[in-house]
Amino acid sequence: MATLYYLILVPMVYLAVAVFVLGIIWRIGRLLAAPAAPAPPPIYPSRKPAWLFAMGDAFLLPTVLRHNFRLWLALALFHLGLLALLLGHLELIADFKILQVIPHGIFLGHGFVGLIVILCLIYFLCRRMASPTKELSVPEDYLLLVLFLFTALFGAQMDWARTWYDYSGMGVDEYRAYLSSLIALKPDIEGVSGSGHSFMLVGHVFFANLLIMAFPFTKLMHAIFTFAMNKFRRG
Amino acid sequence: MEAQLKNDLVKVFKSKLSSQMLLNLDTCSRCGLCTEACHAYASIPLVKYAPAYRAEVVRRIYKRYFTSQGKFAPVMGEAKEITDAALIELKEAAFSCTGCRRCMVYCPFGIDTQQIMSIAKLLLVAAQAEPETLSMLADMSVSKGENIDAFKEGFLEGIKGLETQMIETWRDEAGADPIPTDVIGADLLYVALAGAHSIIPSARIFNAAGEKWSLSFFEAVNFGAFVGDPTKTKLILDRIVNEAKRLRVKEVCICECGTAVRVAKQLKGAPFKVVSLTEVHARYIRQGRIKLKKLPGSYTYHDPCQIARNGGVYDEPRYILKHLVDDFREMSPDPKYNWCCGGGGGLVAMGDETLDFRMQSARVKAEQMRGSGAEVVVTACENCHTQLSDLNKHYGLGKEVRFLSSLVADALLPEPQGARG
Repeated sequence: MATLYYLILVPMVYLAVAVFVLGIIWRIGRLLAAPAAPAPPPIYPSRKPAWLFAMGDAFLLPTVLRHNFRLWLALALFHLGLLALLLGHLELIADFKILQVIPHGIFLGHGFVGLIVILCLIYFLCRRMASPTKELSVPEDYLLLVLFLFTALFGAQMDWARTWYDYSGMGVDEYRAYLSSLIALKPDIEGVSGSGHSFMLVGHVFFANLLIMAFPFTKLMHAIFTFAMNKFRRG
Repeated sequence: MEAQLKNDLVKVFKSKLSSQMLLNLDTCSRCGLCTEACHAYASIPLVKYAPAYRAEVVRRIYKRYFTSQGKFAPVMGEAKEITDAALIELKEAAFSCTGCRRCMVYCPFGIDTQQIMSIAKLLLVAAQAEPETLSMLADMSVSKGENIDAFKEGFLEGIKGLETQMIETWRDEAGADPIPTDVIGADLLYVALAGAHSIIPSARIFNAAGEKWSLSFFEAVNFGAFVGDPTKTKLILDRIVNEAKRLRVKEVCICECGTAVRVAKQLKGAPFKVVSLTEVHARYIRQGRIKLKKLPGSYTYHDPCQIARNGGVYDEPRYILKHLVDDFREMSPDPKYNWCCGGGGGLVAMGDETLDFRMQSARVKAEQMRGSGAEVVVTACENCHTQLSDLNKHYGLGKEVRFLSSLVADALLPEPQGARG
């Protein structure tokens, strides 16, 4: 078991980061290397400056808001939740003063951010299993949602244990020591592998690794491509 | 399917993979928001008519040959080989899409399904599986460009007949040369469609406005664009470009044909400006070059997708109608969301072959026409006019369908400002 924990918490993390970075570089490089073609007309009426409205489209999803409020709400909560969780993970690596403008404990939202993200993922999964989205979906769509869900479930359990049930066997200090050792290329998993909750961390890291590796090769690239796409639409 | 043909088709597919096309193919999250945007899906709720599904038919082939996921884990994206069955699916997808791009307004990323369908159409052309009617019409247009001398005499003979009609109807306004052709140094080259309805009313308005114009020898419609063949599209457009250059015109005015307007407006670096007939008429009114009387009845306007959503001409037709009628009723609260007529993308040009589908898939358009409460439905596109007229008949709407230009011609006051002597 210890070997399995080590493989997931150390080499697999490095592998995931490498695949992610190289994959993204490859995808963007491929795009830049592709020939340019005459741009089709934008959608009219056009509004200027196009780049600003394109940014608005990418961040605020106004077309979704207009046509499907429930989906927009779930997407907004999910993406904002992801952002909050990402910032929380950054704070596990180092103290960022800017992130503590409003003082808070590590991981915003007292465990509720994770809960909201999980509920959104369950909604997305249910929506995908209903027509007409069901007929449009391919296995990748389900796989990514399941990976997200497991990553969030294991991650949230750790957060809930600390914040809701006063579990103190493994906490922020241990996570920080582990992450810092990974970044320093001197991996040390001692603080996070001996606790009763270690399997949660291992599960969280395992599914997160898979998700990170899948990112450059799946539709998750929409997170990057959306800006260029919306700019094309705006002209 | 033979291996050689398959290889050729993969090469053809690759030739379409520009950076923008890669983005269109790589960004879809299959959220399904576009399903309700398509008039075909809204009228016939089968998933094969959802824009994302149509795009997926092309995308699955793309994944198989051009993505690492498709090569190493094809099951994840349901990647598909090019087969005879795939060609049938491609044909159904491409020719049930009118290219209206209403789905682009719904999509959170702005994925251009019409662009993706252009891959399907090109693959069909390469496999010689495209609709024969469209291909034949495109070939005829290309051939006319290559042998204009052979067509010229017949064309001029036809124009003489139209001039006789004009002089009989509007003796005072017709002038000495009611339908001028081949006028070197003309200000405006008018590119019409084959048919008196596209030439006579426009000629009357040009003459009334005192325009120095010339009628093109070529028809505006670009069947190359309908069939999805970029080479033929260019050859057909080049006929007009070359004529405009030869005559040294300042402006090329495209008649009421949405696709022709869109194709011509995409020209870059031409020594002339491209405008739609509607824009020219609005300009004449604004400049006081023509005066119109008010017409009785209630009117609504159908925005042709290629001229409005994809061309930006929203205000001009409304400006003209404001001068033409007192009772104007919008068809859609926001013209950007106007339903497509259901006849674009070559469907009307394919005639009776597509009539059943056109009528079924545009049920929502018929409901929108009925809902407007107007007696007259006005539009500025030949395809739309034909399709709306067919819908009017099929659904028993009891409307009158009119071209905007013909209304303007009918409403011209007898002594227009700046008319030719």
